[in-house]
Amino acid sequence: MMLTLHHAPDFSSTIVRLALEELELPHTLAIVDLGGGALAAPEYRQVNPVGLIPALETDDGPIFETAAILLWLVDTTGRLGPGPNDPDRGAFLSWLFFTSNALHQAALAMFYPHRPAGEANTDATRATAQDQITARLGLIEAMIGAQSPRWLSPDQPGALGYYIGILVRWLILLPPEPYGLNLDDFPQLKAVLAAHEARPAAQRVATDEGLGRTPFTNPGT
Amino acid sequence: MSYTLYHIPDWGSSVIRLMLEEIGVPYSVALLDWDAGDFDSAAFRAVNPLGLVPALATPDGPIFETAAIILWLNARHGGLGPAPTDPDRAAFLSWLMFVSNTLHQTVLTLIHPDRVAGEAVQEVVQAHALERLHGEASRLEAMIIAQDPDWLSPRRPGALGYYLGIILRWAMYLPENKTRRFSLDPYPSLRAVLKAHEGFPAALRVAAADGLGDTPFTAPAVALE
Repeated sequence: MMLTLHHAPDFSSTIVRLALEELELPHTLAIVDLGGGALAAPEYRQVNPVGLIPALETDDGPIFETAAILLWLVDTTGRLGPGPNDPDRGAFLSWLFFTSNALHQAALAMFYPHRPAGEANTDATRATAQDQITARLGLIEAMIGAQSPRWLSPDQPGALGYYIGILVRWLILLPPEPYGLNLDDFPQLKAVLAAHEARPAAQRVATDEGLGRTPFTNPGT
Repeated sequence: MSYTLYHIPDWGSSVIRLMLEEIGVPYSVALLDWDAGDFDSAAFRAVNPLGLVPALATPDGPIFETAAIILWLNARHGGLGPAPTDPDRAAFLSWLMFVSNTLHQTVLTLIHPDRVAGEAVQEVVQAHALERLHGEASRLEAMIIAQDPDWLSPRRPGALGYYLGIILRWAMYLPENKTRRFSLDPYPSLRAVLKAHEGFPAALRVAAADGLGDTPFTAPAVALE
């Protein structure tokens, strides 16, 4: 299997890179020059017509969208999440798509608040996003507490742990005052992410991309 | 095998009702009443902690999020799109996710523009959302023309056709300001897919049960005006 990840360091494609490293799947990185208009280039639109990273070129053609790539890797390798016939599959899919549709989208509204409502209304957009992010992380925290799922656990690496880890990293680092995230408010999730960031795969990616030694739980150091 | 769909007609759960009808499995419908507070009840939160429809109770426990339920049903029963081992899976998953986390979210913003940043700025939010929705629909149109995929085609029913049918339906008739309503006119290939889907037997059954009218995906306002 030939795999090429279209990538920029510390972007969403880092989530996919973490999964590829954890799976020890050989892959090539195609570094995208985000400032140079590379995402709009016709050659790149052949890979991802939506013009975003991540995109992963595979023997079955290109895949884009973070959750789509993660799920494809889980189903292709049988690792990092429950397979199609596993009794845990339904819960795993539900929370993977909740992360993609609700948590990730609210995070994007926090980081790019001019997109939904224009430059004049960025404070109102950020305030709404802050409330959504807090509520949605609270649902994940409660779920971990109630279910202790093996697909989002400190005991074994999983696709969703890496996905949420990168989102949490940005939510700690990027929002301007008074917005942001205190991960201590979500202790179960923090334990899951601390275990994930300590994995050799995560340390390799963190070193290569300059993410620090605790990229998910204390990204400022 | 028994399924229970938590449902409000013409809400997101109609997408899942279409899937269940297309597969042809038995299921029961648990109708919820938003105004009665059913979404906040402890019984429903035990099924879906998010307090949203759709949610599907299965022998493996509850599943929520539209795309999650679609993929789960497709893996168990087939008939809705490429199976986990199909080479077309890569493209199908990519576009299903794009519809789920981008186009679907844009439609929700178009029909609930007050949710993004409050009522004071809902006009500008809605205008932005309609502009984005046209950009996203044009990407789908270009993909259908370039790839003519079996999994989003007038030739056969599929999960993505039904999913788009319901959410674009809302965009076409729910905005009170008619200038902010979505139109399929610039997208003839997408329109042909949706036209075929609203004529498939499963869609006819759901349209009758949920009161969606004769052309639920291509001219939803006709039934109302």
